[in-house]
Amino acid sequence: MEKGYSIKSKPIYGTLVWQDHAMHHVVIAEGEGGKALLKLFQQKLPREPLSVLYLAADPQAEKYATTVQKIINEPVTIKDSQAELLNALKATLDSCYMGTQFYVAGTEGFIWKVAAVLRDAGVDDKNVFKELCGSLGRRLYCVHCKTTNENVHHNIHVCTGCGRHLIVREHFSRLMGAYMGFMIDAEVPGEIPAAEEIYP
Amino acid sequence: MSLLNVKVTAVEQITEQVKQFTFELEDGGKLPYFSGGSHVVVAMDIDGRIHRNAYSLMGPTSDNERYTIAVRKQEQSRGGSVFMHEQVKPGTRLQITPPTNLFAINKLAKKHILVAGGIGITPFMSQISDLNRLGYPYELHYAYRSADQAAFRDQLEKLCGDKVHFYVDDEGRRMNFTELLIQQPLGSHIYVCGPNTMVNSLVLMAKQMGWPDNAVHSEKFLAPATGEPFVVSLSLSETEVMVPGEMSMLEALEEAGIDAPYLCRGGACGRCELEVVDCDGELIHHDVYLSDAEKISANKIMPCVSRANCSRMVVNL
Repeated sequence: MEKGYSIKSKPIYGTLVWQDHAMHHVVIAEGEGGKALLKLFQQKLPREPLSVLYLAADPQAEKYATTVQKIINEPVTIKDSQAELLNALKATLDSCYMGTQFYVAGTEGFIWKVAAVLRDAGVDDKNVFKELCGSLGRRLYCVHCKTTNENVHHNIHVCTGCGRHLIVREHFSRLMGAYMGFMIDAEVPGEIPAAEEIYP
Repeated sequence: MSLLNVKVTAVEQITEQVKQFTFELEDGGKLPYFSGGSHVVVAMDIDGRIHRNAYSLMGPTSDNERYTIAVRKQEQSRGGSVFMHEQVKPGTRLQITPPTNLFAINKLAKKHILVAGGIGITPFMSQISDLNRLGYPYELHYAYRSADQAAFRDQLEKLCGDKVHFYVDDEGRRMNFTELLIQQPLGSHIYVCGPNTMVNSLVLMAKQMGWPDNAVHSEKFLAPATGEPFVVSLSLSETEVMVPGEMSMLEALEEAGIDAPYLCRGGACGRCELEVVDCDGELIHHDVYLSDAEKISANKIMPCVSRANCSRMVVNL
């Protein structure tokens, strides 16, 4: 990548930190995001009402879940599939009002699926605190056939929808939660550089 | 900036202090359409000095034949509202800017909470016409001092039905900001226009209750503060302008024939921002546009409302 290059659409993730001004905190995490969850509870146990939703689909994540439950007194909602976790989140949102602070930790794909549920409920993703954890695999949207490819680890990816070789661009769509992929050999058919694994 | 030449076609006394003015284009054409919350800047020739005040358009937004504004007479002001009340009659010709909107509703919001204090009701008059047309959920909370100052109350009851709530200061019915802000659905946006203290306390309360900044909208039309006179030196045009104590920096520049940029004239939009190259005293910021950090760094100023306690300031203009 070119030195100094950055694009406004690419999300920049931070570290989860409790917000002092809140009526309610909702924390949503998956997999390695369990570590971010534990780091958050190392900061403090907030005074305000708290809802914790965690997706634990592997033994390491189950360990995090057990530890989290030891730290906080309130019940933690633990699910083993993303669909169930997102449904549980929707149910939680029914009892949320303005003044609720939202925190999300996990892979980029997970973060933006959660952001989509929150957006439907009227929460702007600018007001959601996000920490990127675990795999750096990207979701890649093929601008030619409109297929979204999950867990892309290489800078050049063969689209599962149309078989084109796509170059992974830095341009990110918050609405789709994916980076844009463009055919790399559109000018000179067949001229395809070697793919490198740069999103481990 | 291209201006619209209008004539006053009606003047109506709304309350003891508030008059409503209706404008139509001088040559009878159509006015530009505007969105709810828009304002225009009215230029007034007061004893040979051009005075410019911003006023909200009251709507309905579907009407492009005429604009209506309401003006509260401010006795201790610098003369703009007194001029409107005493000199402007049906038939008076005025120049106004095309509408600008710095107080629009957010169309992605799930619910709109409108909070008005006194003459701060004016921008909501046009916002309500938009909200009714779009069928968006909203509630309007309107506080005023006493029953005889309840400008547009009957009109609001007709327009808003049970969505409007009145608070009368001298009857002890006060607005409780905590109640307004608590248990509002996710995706709510709140809009406040009124006196400084009201706007500031509501904005602060919303922050303390965890409302994100981008869901809180406020508008206060600040009259430029008066202060000590000083000299502005323009580094690019190599001239100097004296700013008298009772005039804003922007007004003084305009008086001197300098075509300085401006839009809201209320310290809100940032259009008139000037770079301060040097100042031998202290800048006094009155705007709500610059961040606190920018204000402290003292290299920018909004000449529409801000000034300085200095003898000489150099700006890049």
